Amino acid sequence: MTGPRSAPAPVAVTPPSEAQTVILAQQGEAEALDALARSCRQQAYVFALQLIGHPDDALDVAQDAMVRFFRSLGRFDPSRPVRPWLLRIVRNLVRDRARRLRVRRTESLEPDDDALRFEPRDDAPDPEALASRRELQALVWTCLQKLHPRYREVLVLRDYQDLSYADIATTLKIPRGTVMSRLHRARRLLQEEVRKHRSGTGEARDG
Amino acid sequence: MADRCPASFDEALISGHLDGELTQAAEQKVRVHLADCEHCAVVLDELRALRKATMSTEFHSPDDSQWDERPQSGLSLMARGTGWLIAIVWAVFFAGFALWHFWQESANLVERLLVFGGLSALALLFISVLVDRLQAARTDPYREVEK
Repeated sequence: MTGPRSAPAPVAVTPPSEAQTVILAQQGEAEALDALARSCRQQAYVFALQLIGHPDDALDVAQDAMVRFFRSLGRFDPSRPVRPWLLRIVRNLVRDRARRLRVRRTESLEPDDDALRFEPRDDAPDPEALASRRELQALVWTCLQKLHPRYREVLVLRDYQDLSYADIATTLKIPRGTVMSRLHRARRLLQEEVRKHRSGTGEARDG
Repeated sequence: MADRCPASFDEALISGHLDGELTQAAEQKVRVHLADCEHCAVVLDELRALRKATMSTEFHSPDDSQWDERPQSGLSLMARGTGWLIAIVWAVFFAGFALWHFWQESANLVERLLVFGGLSALALLFISVLVDRLQAARTDPYREVEK
């Protein structure tokens, strides 16, 4: 398994050439289509995984997203950035899927911890600090999945996908001011979940 | 620590400050407030630690072979949809034919009532789910979004 990190997002197609790549892809240029597919499908997968928490479901969503992406590529304005549009497609598919699952089942699934990739990095501090960081990353990942999708998506877009407020507003079709207030609420809820989880674990250990 | 800032301060600005998304005037306002408000300073520190954890998290992603195993185009999805449609039409006709035979050949009223009662219940359940789905589709605020 190989894969890019979530933040900053994987960008095989660099921004200056993105518009040109899109234009060539719209004209049916095979190389451009391939470059666009390779870049976008990884982004779509990682974002879907961050929203859903399960690799298999994320792959299904990403695959559907790519079909929709290329189906409407001809109508896309190349002067606009691709990423907010792609992420919006993924987000809408995740919403549709959640709605379908609400009809079919009521229980929620625990997030898959194997989704995280823990590999040594150059900027890693001492082993103890590294272990502590990984523990917090896994804890935040678990707590994130407990948030309402409205808060989870804005947090993922900002803190995992590293999107600006303007791009988040475009992706979610909400005013920029709403992005800041919703994001702050999401962070406070996440903070609360982390605290609850820590105190719960502490109590269990003490007891 | 109290859950909210004791002063009448818009806490959302802390996130704006953390993300470097504030105007110069708002940024100045937050800095002045943070210097005086212990509550907000603690909130900022905690959110910064969480943000550092999320920003440094990495995720597995599938290699190319896994993508190739999946349907790659709208054509395969269309074929799958058509297959389902034909299967549903076949099932409806087959079930209708079987029911017609059952009605014609079985003289026992109790048997007829049991079978048709059960089928009616299933049909009602199906219709209720269908109505819910149609209602959800009509009220979906994202239906105008290009997918």
